[in-house]
Amino acid sequence: MNEHRPDMIELSAYFDGELDPARQRSVAAHLAACPACAAQFDLLRMLAADFERLPAETLGFDLAGVIEGRLAAAPRPQPRHDRGWRGLLPVSVGAAASVACGIAMGFALFGGAAAAPRVALMSVFDTMPPGSLCIGLESCYTNGAKR
Amino acid sequence: MECMISRTDDAEAELVVRAQAGDHRAFALLVGRYQDPVFRFVLRMCGIRDEAMDLTQDTFLKAYRALPAWRPEARFRTWLFQIAHNATLDVLRRRQRVEFVPFAEDAPEGAILEATDPAPTPEQALADRQRIVLLERALRELPAEQREVLLLREVEDMSYAEIAATLGIGEGTVKSRLARARVAALAHYRGHAGENRDE
Repeated sequence: MNEHRPDMIELSAYFDGELDPARQRSVAAHLAACPACAAQFDLLRMLAADFERLPAETLGFDLAGVIEGRLAAAPRPQPRHDRGWRGLLPVSVGAAASVACGIAMGFALFGGAAAAPRVALMSVFDTMPPGSLCIGLESCYTNGAKR
Repeated sequence: MECMISRTDDAEAELVVRAQAGDHRAFALLVGRYQDPVFRFVLRMCGIRDEAMDLTQDTFLKAYRALPAWRPEARFRTWLFQIAHNATLDVLRRRQRVEFVPFAEDAPEGAILEATDPAPTPEQALADRQRIVLLERALRELPAEQREVLLLREVEDMSYAEIAATLGIGEGTVKSRLARARVAALAHYRGHAGENRDE
């Protein structure tokens, strides 16, 4: 009898009906003949019965209604698909537009409009101040008066 | 019976597919079906009612967001409890109340057999109510990994395969962990009954 004595792991699995059919039968036969193992088995039964008597805890309100309300406001979850190269199309178009825009701006800054600031800069070294007013020699005004 | 379960599973899978397509009503039906089992599980795991209510709601919102990843091969209940289990463990870890007691999964069989007394115990004489109090106390004191495996088997009536899928462990581990959890719960009974006698 002892050579087939089930350990607690087997007894527990037997109680749950999780042993293979042959072992399930041999444990049943052992329990019928072994009071010690039968007592152990009774403890497992008692424990399971006590679990059944535990108070049935409930949430106490309709969570479904709450969740439904929240979901109505939330965006729908999108399945993740592998979109391949088409998925990258908007990104590449955007990148190309950014580069083109950058080139155009650079051209505008350092191309046609670049001359004007240079002239303004050079005028600092001119003998004539802006507005053609000479703050220097008197002859300047004399020359103008002759004319 | 098996046929009935299969029909239930099919009907449930249909609800999940509808929910995946954006049918909020279908998802609400699934919530209505599982709100109490999920709440019961997380409450027994974390022990605080308000926290369990938040965790239950969080579980369903996470499930909704993860719906596109659900595949018909997975049973919805298992998948949902997996989410609930992970969310609960996160909370327990944050609270640093989770106690992973290291023990060998392959401990000698004798050690387990010694833990219970084959002789009739004083618990048998205790009234039902007293035993329930002891069981609740035992559940609170068990390590989280033993508590969860007991709850999934004894309360939710899950098969070893379902428990294994829910907890992400092997069926062999479920088998041995469950036996140890039962032994530990019974040892708590005996220990606390002894305390009560001494009082």
